[in-house]
Amino acid sequence: MSYLELAGLQKRYGNSVAVDDVSLSVEQGEAVALLGPSGCGKTTTLRMLAGLIEPNHGTMTLDGSEITRLPAHKRNMGYVFQSYALFPHLSVGRNIAFGLEERGVSRAEIDKRVQEGLALVRLSGLEQRRPKELSGGQQQRVALARALVIQPSVLLLDESLSNLDAKLRDAMRHEIRSIQRTLGITTLFVTHDQVEALTMCDRIAVMHRGRIAQIGSAEDIYDRPATRFVAEFVGRANLLPLARDGQGRATIWDQAVPVEAADDADLFVRPQRMRIVPVSEPAGGDTARLIGRVLRSVFVGDHVEVLVEGAGGQLTVEMPSGSGAPTEGTEVSIVWPRAESRVFAREAS
Amino acid sequence: MTASRRLPLLLIPATLFLLVVYVWPSLGLFRNAFNEVGPTGAMVEAWSLETWRVTFHDSFTFELTLNSLWLSAVSTLIALCLAYPVSLFLFRTDSRFRGLLAVVAILPMLVSGVVRVFGWLAILGDRGLVNTTLQSLGLISAPLKLVFNWTGVTIGLAESIMPYMILALLAGFGRLDRTLEEAARSLGASPFRTFRRVTLPLSLPAIALAAGLGFVLSMSAYITPKLLGGGRVFVLATEIFEQATTNTNWPVAAVLAIYTLVLLLALLVVSNLVARRLQR
Repeated sequence: MSYLELAGLQKRYGNSVAVDDVSLSVEQGEAVALLGPSGCGKTTTLRMLAGLIEPNHGTMTLDGSEITRLPAHKRNMGYVFQSYALFPHLSVGRNIAFGLEERGVSRAEIDKRVQEGLALVRLSGLEQRRPKELSGGQQQRVALARALVIQPSVLLLDESLSNLDAKLRDAMRHEIRSIQRTLGITTLFVTHDQVEALTMCDRIAVMHRGRIAQIGSAEDIYDRPATRFVAEFVGRANLLPLARDGQGRATIWDQAVPVEAADDADLFVRPQRMRIVPVSEPAGGDTARLIGRVLRSVFVGDHVEVLVEGAGGQLTVEMPSGSGAPTEGTEVSIVWPRAESRVFAREAS
Repeated sequence: MTASRRLPLLLIPATLFLLVVYVWPSLGLFRNAFNEVGPTGAMVEAWSLETWRVTFHDSFTFELTLNSLWLSAVSTLIALCLAYPVSLFLFRTDSRFRGLLAVVAILPMLVSGVVRVFGWLAILGDRGLVNTTLQSLGLISAPLKLVFNWTGVTIGLAESIMPYMILALLAGFGRLDRTLEEAARSLGASPFRTFRRVTLPLSLPAIALAAGLGFVLSMSAYITPKLLGGGRVFVLATEIFEQATTNTNWPVAAVLAIYTLVLLLALLVVSNLVARRLQR
């Protein structure tokens, strides 16, 4: 049995189901991201784990003992809230000391651990300040230190970086990741930001409509999405409508492609896995190819986005910048390794 | 003229109204405080401090002050203990009846003070609801004296200021954030400790605001001490009314009124300072 086990968790609000049958195993020291759009149930799952809401069904087990009905204050979970939730009436030092004081730790030990906590998040010397005198990034670090000094069984981060500006968010991502690794603390990270999930966690659980759509490493999720939703939500995706020709072979844009034919389905290929080559260049055995016309190429700094139009649709190819973007209007051939494509059925909704 | 510069014009109607019905009579009151009462009992125009001297050398004035302060303090405290949980509930609840419940909580405000007092007489009187119930249960043999004394006035006052205090608390709960309590819980604080260390400290500004309001309202209440006190409860407000109407001693009434006003202003300043300190 893993360190942390969620089994068949369900949470209903009236007739709507926020979390539906979520099961997840997390090893000790592992960082797992719950990734999904707003309303997918990721925060609800985290709050159930913290004991802030009660599940209707399912169990949670931590280190071999069941915690499903344990009240929040007995769970020893370090929760970092999206809004940081620092106590406005207490100084930074008292905020960090709060959990230790509730545990009856001695004054000397509290002082020592508060200093360690401040040092860990590089805020030494600011313990006398009030939370509102700190910048957003500093507040977030105080919240992190406050959750860490209690030496929690699991660290829970709820969209903790979403209120920071882009640069700071990038720095904090690395900082949190390195703290997480150094302390070897089991972490669950709720986010709607795929970059956060991909860079900060060992494994990612993509959630969709209250369920886990796929669990796996960043590469699994990105290169081998299990469902159409995962393919579209994580990264960018070309979804090309499949059809059949007279002989029953699969076609895209009325051109035969070497994939198995399917009805009401789309072929998925990442824009980065596609290459643009001259029409004259022959296709290899294990590559697929399509011919289209360049509609536009857009320079985006580190890469160029080329929009290609064919009969009945468009697709995007991402190519490294400096590799000579094709001029608009030229007819080109788009090739990709057959192994990089997947077929997803079109959803009814 | 720009729109923002025309904005103060909006204040003109209210200012004119208050000048006529409030400021002008107040100046008259101020003037009366320096008049004298002639041997016939009629007011004589003068500029004298005689009324002030007599009033503040009278130990009864001192007694009235203490009565008023004590009554207001006790009523405010009782009302606060009752209003705080109600306000917290109204502030917190997700119920779709929240609006309705809030209206119910402040409904007594919409009932005339006189009507409410008669309601209390029906409940607290010798043959009222409380006494008949306790007697039929055999818990008491003779009826408890619950009205026409300090007990009745305190109960009545506490009830009458409660709706205002509920509103003041609701307005002051601004910084009370559910997430902060969740943070405290996640850090290991029990529900009681969470209330003690987070909810209560963060609602102190609201409490100061509500207590200040309740106190001022109690100090200036006239109907409740008069009717539920049954002539045995003497406070500043009842004495001012006595002097102005029964005794027609306008200078004394004016002096006591100004004295009460100054007392209340001082209390408001203090409660404001406290609230601001707590808000930091």
